[in-house]
Amino acid sequence: MATINPGFATELKKYGALDFNKCYNCGNCTAVCSLSTGDNSFPREMIRFSVLGLEREIQKSTTPWLCYYCGECSATCPQQTDPGELMMSLRRYLTSKYDWTGLGAKLYTSKLWEFGTIAFLALVVLFLFVFFHGPMTNELTADGGVMLNTFAPWQQIEIGDLLMGGFLAFFLMSNIFNMYLKIIGSQKDLKIPFKLYFSEFWKLIVHFGTQREFSKCDTKLEQKKPALNTYWVVHWFLMSSYVIMFVMIVAFLGWFQTDNIYAWFHPQRILGYYATVGLTIGIVYFFVQRIKKSAQKSKHSHVTDWTFLVLLFLTTISGILVHVFRLNGMPQPTYYMYVFHLMALVPMLMIEVPFSKWSHLAYRPFAIYFNKIIVAAKKSK
Amino acid sequence: MKQKIGVYICQCGSNISDYVNVEEVAAQAEKIEGVALAKTTMFACADSTQKEIEEDIKSRQLDAIVVASCSPKLHLFTFRNVAIRAGLNPFNYVQVNVREQCSWAHSNNPKQATEKAIHLVIAGIERVKHSKALPAIKISADNAVLVVGAGVSGMRAAIELAKMGTEVVLIEKNHFVGGRVSQWNKLFITDETGQEVVARLYQEVKNHNKIKLFTGTELISKSGGVGNFDIQIQFTPRYVLTTCKPDWEKIQKAISLCPIEVDDDFNFGLTKRKAIYKNFPSELPHIPAIDIVNCNKCGECVKVCEEVDLEQQVEKLNFRVGAILLTTGADSYEPKKGEFAYQEIDNVITLQQFKRLIEISGKELLYHGKKIRNIAFIYCVGSRQQDGENKYCSRYCCTSVIHSAILVKEKYEGIFNFHFTRGVRTYGKQEILYNKAAKQGDIFLQSFEDSPTEVTSENGKTIVKINDILTANMEIEVEADLVVLVTGMVPRENTAISSLLKIPIGRDKFYNEVHPKLRPVETVIDGILIAGTCQSPKTIMESVNSALSAAAKANSLLRTGEIELEPTLAVIDKETCDWCDACAAVCPYDAIEKSEVNGKFVAQIAKANCKGCGMCLPVCPVNAIQLDGYTDVEMEGMISALVS
Repeated sequence: MATINPGFATELKKYGALDFNKCYNCGNCTAVCSLSTGDNSFPREMIRFSVLGLEREIQKSTTPWLCYYCGECSATCPQQTDPGELMMSLRRYLTSKYDWTGLGAKLYTSKLWEFGTIAFLALVVLFLFVFFHGPMTNELTADGGVMLNTFAPWQQIEIGDLLMGGFLAFFLMSNIFNMYLKIIGSQKDLKIPFKLYFSEFWKLIVHFGTQREFSKCDTKLEQKKPALNTYWVVHWFLMSSYVIMFVMIVAFLGWFQTDNIYAWFHPQRILGYYATVGLTIGIVYFFVQRIKKSAQKSKHSHVTDWTFLVLLFLTTISGILVHVFRLNGMPQPTYYMYVFHLMALVPMLMIEVPFSKWSHLAYRPFAIYFNKIIVAAKKSK
Repeated sequence: MKQKIGVYICQCGSNISDYVNVEEVAAQAEKIEGVALAKTTMFACADSTQKEIEEDIKSRQLDAIVVASCSPKLHLFTFRNVAIRAGLNPFNYVQVNVREQCSWAHSNNPKQATEKAIHLVIAGIERVKHSKALPAIKISADNAVLVVGAGVSGMRAAIELAKMGTEVVLIEKNHFVGGRVSQWNKLFITDETGQEVVARLYQEVKNHNKIKLFTGTELISKSGGVGNFDIQIQFTPRYVLTTCKPDWEKIQKAISLCPIEVDDDFNFGLTKRKAIYKNFPSELPHIPAIDIVNCNKCGECVKVCEEVDLEQQVEKLNFRVGAILLTTGADSYEPKKGEFAYQEIDNVITLQQFKRLIEISGKELLYHGKKIRNIAFIYCVGSRQQDGENKYCSRYCCTSVIHSAILVKEKYEGIFNFHFTRGVRTYGKQEILYNKAAKQGDIFLQSFEDSPTEVTSENGKTIVKINDILTANMEIEVEADLVVLVTGMVPRENTAISSLLKIPIGRDKFYNEVHPKLRPVETVIDGILIAGTCQSPKTIMESVNSALSAAAKANSLLRTGEIELEPTLAVIDKETCDWCDACAAVCPYDAIEKSEVNGKFVAQIAKANCKGCGMCLPVCPVNAIQLDGYTDVEMEGMISALVS
């Protein structure tokens, strides 16, 4: 028994869904979808639930996370309902529903909230630096580098980092727990043996680390099936760079933010460069994809897609400039750029990691993990 | 008795000759007395063969011919025309079917197929031997048509007939024209209103001097046949002088003074109306009418409107017309009490009521004082019934309900439409509407016939439930402020006219045509035509299509002033006949009348009515009736040939 919620379509359209109500149930999308099986009707089941506004059914489903948006359904839909974009919107919707604070929903559906929060956080960072920064010395180190740790001692920044890390971890974990309740908690009739949580755990690690499912996305309709799925490779490169950079900044700032200039092959610099290259290539690639709109999955961009890319771009480019200025002994530009770097970095992490687009890095592997548990539990039954 | 008969045995390529020994058939035929020649031919219907037969008739002075080939359904008229071209009466020709009845039926036994063919051909020869040359029967016909029902179909047909020069008597039972269409507001696809369409047709009807329009009028008797129907019509008075100039202020005053209030049929009982009424200001003719059944003759209206005349009497008029066209329309299905909670839960109404509700509602859509937000439409109520009588699809309702769902959403904010369908049939251009509705957010659900949608009342809320096959048979429900039963069309309850004219009724109880594809607007009664929704549920466009088709058919029948009839009619032997009434009692066409000849009563055949069906022949106790073309001597000749 389920009750129709006719207002759902209007809500979902704020998350980027298009004219999905036009669906006349022909099933072409299911026929072309590489994920469809006998009992799992991708993506039609989700379209139908969305048309009827069966929010409980949608929220207890892992289906939207299993789709990697090859876009074949959208390309073949005779009614131009864009099922691929609907699945994308459902992922945004679910992200905001897993977030128990309600902030995620605000950030997704209101530009005022999105940009207001970014501006507010950026101003807080600016404010802290204006009042609490160290001396802006023009003296250089023995290597000719800028004495950044005099202006912004890493010990103090680390305190802020750890506070922020704790904040992010708390909200992201609690949201994942909320996701668990919605997906596994709603399986009232299914008894899940406790050991499954452990036996299936390696799948979480594998899928987080490799994003393997992404590589399976089959784009034969677009007739350009490269030997290696470029999208997946670039995405993986971007993701790994992001993770490396994140870990270095949050957990090992004392090792990463130094005044000495190490030889180029020093792990600090190698890892930094790897991450920088990965981020730059990723950002440029996704910018180009979203502007060109040639691939189905890049045709429609929600405002939050651009926000994430722009903040990431500003963070990366300012980070590169800080590095260049520091190495070349340019103290004042280094200090200003460092402040700017943090004004972009902090809002990006604060809003994206637990409340917005970034969180899919966690939700996707967890959805696969929960799905495997449910499937295994059903099989053992 | 024919002395020079030509017999032609067709090979039909090899269709016949592969199994029937045609040479043998010809040889046997030639032996029969009176046969002048017997030939085989590759294709009897080929132009060259037809010419050859004509030549034979002329050069050999044949007085009858037999062609043994395919079914007469295929080529009877082909060879009748051959006879006519060669100067032979077409009724001195007999076709024998040796293809369907011999070669095709007995392809496993050529010997017996041949034997059967020989018997059939000889029977044909024996029949043609006794055939008479029947003269063509021509009767005079009045180029005038009675059109019954002044809805869109009737008016459109009347206009077209008048344009082609046919006189039209257009009668309408109600006091106002337009029928169902005048009840509808905007129509797909032009957005013109039903009232506007009716007004346009009415103007044309009034402007044409060949059309006589009578409202408040019914057909009460009919005699005669095609070409010469004598009809009588009866007027129920309007009780308002037709000279009354439309002074809407005065009319309104008279209406407001009337103390009587009855359910308004025009709004399907949603509102009340007075005994003096006009359903809407622009309704035509522009004169109010008094519903005398409910009027108590208090005289209040007379005081303000001197044109009211409560003394008017019922009148009758006689006309002679050549044909009758019925455009009497259809009724809407009235759900049974409890059918989808109809009349049990207060906010369950029909589609027709809903359409009127949208039109008569003001700024807010209210039903019984409650604001409407969620509307559930339940499809196929009274149509496509699994167990009920109405097996047919009503054709127009899917389109109509979706169009109404769009209109209601355009007119009012915050409406949500839920369509509980059994599959949506918005065929043709109407698919545009379905797309529009889906795009505007209407939700479509579907169930199978054996698991119908349910309407229940729970704590004062109306809940509509379905096992939605589009959602893997999940049980889906919605709370509805208004439930609209999408009711289709049913035949008119009033059967007076169909019994008066003896119109054949189909299994669906609508009037039946002769042939759904080839003769779609004619009935088996010559000169009586049908169009519009009295024949089957139709959209307005389909109704008008059929009306125009019927107009053309009626005009082509009557325009020459003469109608040629098939001369195979019953003939009474006035000597033997002793008027006993048995034949008249069984005649389905009212073709037998009692008449006096030389001081004795005998039966007489009304040639225009007789269809040559032969029903009267076996019931005559003194064998006084013969059917031309099938006389006793012909039939007996055939039988003896077959049994010999």
